[in-house]
Amino acid sequence: MKATVAQLAQLPGVWRGGELEHAIQPVVATGHAALDRELPGSGWPTGTLTEVLHDAAGIGEISFLAGALARASRDDRLIAWIAPPHLPYAPALAAAGIPLDRCLVVRPANRDDSLWAAEQALRSGACGAVLFWLPSDEYAWLRRLQMAAESGRAMAVLFRSTAAERLSTPAHLRVMLSREHGALEVRIPKRRGPPLATPIRLAIGRTLPAASSITDIRSHALAAVG
Amino acid sequence: MLWVALELPALPLQIAQRAGASPEPLVISEGPEQRPLVICANEAAQSAGVREGQAIAAAKALAMDLRVLARDRLVEREALERLAAWGGQFTHMSCMDGQGIALEVEASIKLFSGHAKLASAIRRGIRDLGFHATLGVAPTVLAARLFARAEANGLQVRGCLDLTTLRERVAGLPLFLLDWPARTLAHLTDLGVVRMRDMLDLPMEGVARRFGPEIAICLGRLMGTIADPREPYSPPPRFRARLELPAEANGVDALLFPLRRMLVEMEGTLRGRGAGVQQLVLWLEHGRKRRTRLDLEFASPERESDFILSIAREKLGRLTLPATTIALDLRADALLPFVPRESTWLPGAKEQAIGRDRLIQRLSARLGRERVFGIAIADDHRPDRNWTSMDPGHPCADRDPEAKAARPAWLLNRPRKLVSQDSFCLIAGPERIESGWWDGAEVRRDYYVASNARGETFWIFREHRGEQGWYMHGVFA
Repeated sequence: MKATVAQLAQLPGVWRGGELEHAIQPVVATGHAALDRELPGSGWPTGTLTEVLHDAAGIGEISFLAGALARASRDDRLIAWIAPPHLPYAPALAAAGIPLDRCLVVRPANRDDSLWAAEQALRSGACGAVLFWLPSDEYAWLRRLQMAAESGRAMAVLFRSTAAERLSTPAHLRVMLSREHGALEVRIPKRRGPPLATPIRLAIGRTLPAASSITDIRSHALAAVG
Repeated sequence: MLWVALELPALPLQIAQRAGASPEPLVISEGPEQRPLVICANEAAQSAGVREGQAIAAAKALAMDLRVLARDRLVEREALERLAAWGGQFTHMSCMDGQGIALEVEASIKLFSGHAKLASAIRRGIRDLGFHATLGVAPTVLAARLFARAEANGLQVRGCLDLTTLRERVAGLPLFLLDWPARTLAHLTDLGVVRMRDMLDLPMEGVARRFGPEIAICLGRLMGTIADPREPYSPPPRFRARLELPAEANGVDALLFPLRRMLVEMEGTLRGRGAGVQQLVLWLEHGRKRRTRLDLEFASPERESDFILSIAREKLGRLTLPATTIALDLRADALLPFVPRESTWLPGAKEQAIGRDRLIQRLSARLGRERVFGIAIADDHRPDRNWTSMDPGHPCADRDPEAKAARPAWLLNRPRKLVSQDSFCLIAGPERIESGWWDGAEVRRDYYVASNARGETFWIFREHRGEQGWYMHGVFA
């Protein structure tokens, strides 16, 4: 039996080189129209890993997910924070519209516990979103987490440093964040579709005032004392 | 009425080997202290030539490393009691009877869609408990017991569902299966009466006169002509079970198998009562009065053995045992009403959703409660006290964040002192936070939003009390 290209493109995991994959799993809209356009299915995928790579901290790496997290926690599902680098601060999350009573913070003592907790959260089916900060670059573990993500229905976001860009990943989607000229710049090094030519700019975080007052802490302090 | 009788042949031996078969020859002894006799022997002992009824001294001569356990009728009775309680999940009428239990199942047949399915559910359940039982089905207790014993003795019998066919079904069975005095049986054999058929052909009046009225009554009850009322066993409102291990267990992995058997038994008992447990205590006994306590607590009453076992496995994994374990003791002192959990019905939700409570319990069992928490806003102006950790997964009163000033998504565990090389651009501030003079944790700080050359935005403050200077307290992630 011959199948047409159009029929083939309907198969899971098959897409034309020039187009985005036709996502089968439901997606969670990112809340940013410009970003939605560039993602297969127009949103963050569920049931598979998504990698967010960034080096700088405090560039809006959590707040750009806020809208999606609020949507993912519908139907009474949890948002699990596994081994976050710092404490998720309740007043800020509430202000960003993330329901606090759905948040589950897990701060394991060691690497193995973190991996185990992430796997459990992904598998459970109780989580709408699982955010985790992995202390390991082992491919075997990533593969295992990808399997766990496939068995759950969660939006699974793994945060890593940009050094991981060189390493191969079982995740279907990889985005890279940096802050350029006061905007959050999103590049998509890996997606099921053609490579993204130009980075997307999102106006996340406060609009900076004119960069006039680059201040040395010490001189500022002295000025205040004086 | 339809009765299912369960017969546990060699019960003392089964109890001794429940936590795992013993590879060495093992016998149970009973009888006068001077000359105890073997009453049952395990396979290893039997292959060494040990037979039931032998003197222990003779058995020891046959098998070098023979283990001899004295029969303990109290333990047997307790085992049967727990079995009767476990049987409560199949019917309201579960009682102890002879060397086993009897269940009246007529009302439950529809629930289990047929007596064949019910019988196989019971057989499967018994196997999961670690017991071996034969099963008889008949309209009277005694007939059911007779069938079960016949099966235990290797005879082929078919169950009987109807009183009208009972006579022909029991006809071929030997009389020695009945609990009759040995003298009576010998007497009957002398008369040429060895099968039920011969016995039932005798005139009842004569039987009563010659062998005593209890024999005639027994026959009447067996055939259903005389009523045979039974009292259902009502278990105490708690669950306790103790299991001795066949060999000293080193580490925790070897404990999971016997623990599972106890939990399966508990699940059946709880099902029979419509109950669940919220708190469990598991004692690991190490001998010489040393023991380790393990507490299991759940968010709501639970009874599923697989789930409880998975929680126990994580907790046991965190334990370091002082010595090898020789016995397990499981106790639940409060049985609570159990509300069955509704399972997911959403189409496409094929994967088993274990639910948020289960996830949280599983995580906190392994990681510790303090490492798994929910967050909420607290009434305080001080940033480190403006949030509170709480039991995860419980709805909290949604407080409006005081959205006057920006707050960072990450809060540092403790403020980090900034060094003079850190160079920042102050974006917003100062925001004076001054509070807490009443509880000894006073703060007087000016908070700023600041960013550095890489575009990273932080929440920093200038301390006016104690060690003055600039600190970083949050990250606008």
